[in-house]
Amino acid sequence: MKFSDLILQTAAKVLVFIIMTFSIYILFAGHHNPGGGFIGGLITASALMLLYIAFDAETIQEIIPVDFKIIGAIGVLMALLTGISAVVVDSAFLTQVYKYVDLPLLGKTGIGTALVFDLGVYLAVVGTTMTIIRSISEDM
Amino acid sequence: MAFQLLLNMLLSITWMFLNNDWTAAGFIIGFALGLLILIAFRRFFHQPLYVKKMWAIVKLLLIFTKELFVSSFAVAKHVVSPKLNMRPGIFTFRTVLQSDWEVTILACLICLTPGTLTLEISRDSRTLFIHAMDIEDADELAEQIKLSFERAILEVRHA
Repeated sequence: MKFSDLILQTAAKVLVFIIMTFSIYILFAGHHNPGGGFIGGLITASALMLLYIAFDAETIQEIIPVDFKIIGAIGVLMALLTGISAVVVDSAFLTQVYKYVDLPLLGKTGIGTALVFDLGVYLAVVGTTMTIIRSISEDM
Repeated sequence: MAFQLLLNMLLSITWMFLNNDWTAAGFIIGFALGLLILIAFRRFFHQPLYVKKMWAIVKLLLIFTKELFVSSFAVAKHVVSPKLNMRPGIFTFRTVLQSDWEVTILACLICLTPGTLTLEISRDSRTLFIHAMDIEDADELAEQIKLSFERAILEVRHA
């Protein structure tokens, strides 16, 4: 007798969005509050894992047709480029530029190159985690 | 339903634009006025007014709360009684609900009320396998679920 995964699948469809929202909040909260790129990336990977548990791998590959190895590489490149861009403007490697900018609608917002570095870390963590889990779970 | 709610939000934002009042109070006033307009022109919509569906959802929550309390006390009575004289068992429950959401909500409500627990759902997602802590009469219990939860969920659908 086969049973259906109806409850898990229906719940996952909504929970994935909530977990993703939380992960993006954590990613941007890293400067003044607990959070940052690493934990944000792990939470995103866990949202994707929930999809993998609820549905099968082929379906998810169709929904999210990305190669996670490339995502990880892009993340590392982003982090590296923020360091190199500091050398280009005649300061030490990985010096961060931090400025308060008056943006329309948002008001006084602090923007720094550390945010781009964090995004790189985020992508690297998502790529690495998903690659590890997917290569363990199936023959690629 | 969703369209009417969005329209009400849009009227609310329009009200805020006209008054240049970007506060929560302004939004609520705009929302109430928009609701009045929607009620006045309710014959335009093909579906009933969304307030009815909201009220049905609130009623479902109230029924769930009532069931939660009643069954919690029933389970507590079993826990503190010196002799265990209950008859656990599994029975099937055939539901008339159609969509995935409705069946999922029904299964979750059965899980959340103490004494009953949804174990599995069949492939055609119509038959629920429910474990009950104390079955006097399986048909009676199924009838009880049918009358309370299933009817409330159906009311939400038809509202």
